[in-house]
Amino acid sequence: MRYPKEVVLKDRTEAVIRPLESKDEAMISRFYAAIPEKDRWYMRHDVTDPLIIRKIIDSIGTGNVFSTVARVEERIVAHASLLMRGHGATRHSGRLRIAVLPEYRHKRLGTWMLLDLIQYAMDAGLNDLRADFVVGVEDTAIESARKLDFFKVAVIPEYVKSPRGNRYDLQIMVKRLHRTWADF
Amino acid sequence: MSSSQPADIEIGTRKGTIRVRSSCSAQDIGRLQFNPHFGTYAQYKSLYSKRESLEQIARQPDANVTLAVVDEQTIVGFGVLAYPEASERWAQLQPQVMMEVKAIEVARDWRSKRVAGRILKRLMGHPSIEEKIAYMVGYSWTWDLDGTRKTAQQYRQMLIRLFEPFGFIEYQTNEPNICLKAENLFMGRVGGSVDEQTSKAFKWLRFGIDP
Repeated sequence: MRYPKEVVLKDRTEAVIRPLESKDEAMISRFYAAIPEKDRWYMRHDVTDPLIIRKIIDSIGTGNVFSTVARVEERIVAHASLLMRGHGATRHSGRLRIAVLPEYRHKRLGTWMLLDLIQYAMDAGLNDLRADFVVGVEDTAIESARKLDFFKVAVIPEYVKSPRGNRYDLQIMVKRLHRTWADF
Repeated sequence: MSSSQPADIEIGTRKGTIRVRSSCSAQDIGRLQFNPHFGTYAQYKSLYSKRESLEQIARQPDANVTLAVVDEQTIVGFGVLAYPEASERWAQLQPQVMMEVKAIEVARDWRSKRVAGRILKRLMGHPSIEEKIAYMVGYSWTWDLDGTRKTAQQYRQMLIRLFEPFGFIEYQTNEPNICLKAENLFMGRVGGSVDEQTSKAFKWLRFGIDP
């Protein structure tokens, strides 16, 4: 897969997608610091914790995680990860996570990041991709995923709590990666 | 047909000698016949299986129809380089800068003999190629996955390996037909004489933005 990948966003901003590198630690840290608290709340880890950032960097090249970043000039504006088990009953499946700075949302950057990881997953021989979304909070991301043939497989009602204690549904979406004509 | 360099190259195979002819004229094509393996299968249909279609392209300005021929009469492979249709996005880059590798196909019984690479080499020998942006679009639904026994992703990789040595690069684009499937592929080759402004316009065009 060729990197860097050049994309032009809806507002003509030029971004470059490339794999996360060890030297990005400070930049990825600044990136997550710029993600609003209300968005970070729904993330799996506390990405303001330097240990978590170190863990992200340490995961480079382990084979279980493939991370990409989108850069605009000298700034990381999006981070995407494909998490793979590598063994056992779910080795055929990967999980996707994407975070985009607020000012770069609704410009198709998330879709480009998603598309790039889908292609990576196909090259890696995965059969399925999974992404979880909070309904009512991540509706734009749900729509982007749907356009890329992700479909809803389950909803866990009122599984997620907002900082104020409001409950939201967690929607699990899966995309089957076509392997042969029979899959089309 | 106005591109020059008519020349043949020969490929010796166990099955026989293949002659690859570049810049074939409509008259040249008219004297030949298609190998019967070009046709319609359960999951796959050859892009061209009638001489008339190739003859028509060969008459277009600058077009290059390259044929792989056996026994001086049977087409076992073909490649087509021509300008895009006026209605296509890529035709917007004027004047006639972009040229599409519209097809490269080898008959099922003559595959795995490196014929496609030779055809592409002849297509890229177009006299104006350095002034052009050549591109190819790979739609996964047109690929002969049954015949090659490849998955869509393996076929995609095969195409990348075929085109990369000739300077083609995989590009992102929001062209709707290409975006229909993640497996689809868009590759381009910006000729050495293409100026920076045109290269930039090509970038905008890939994302549907007017310069």
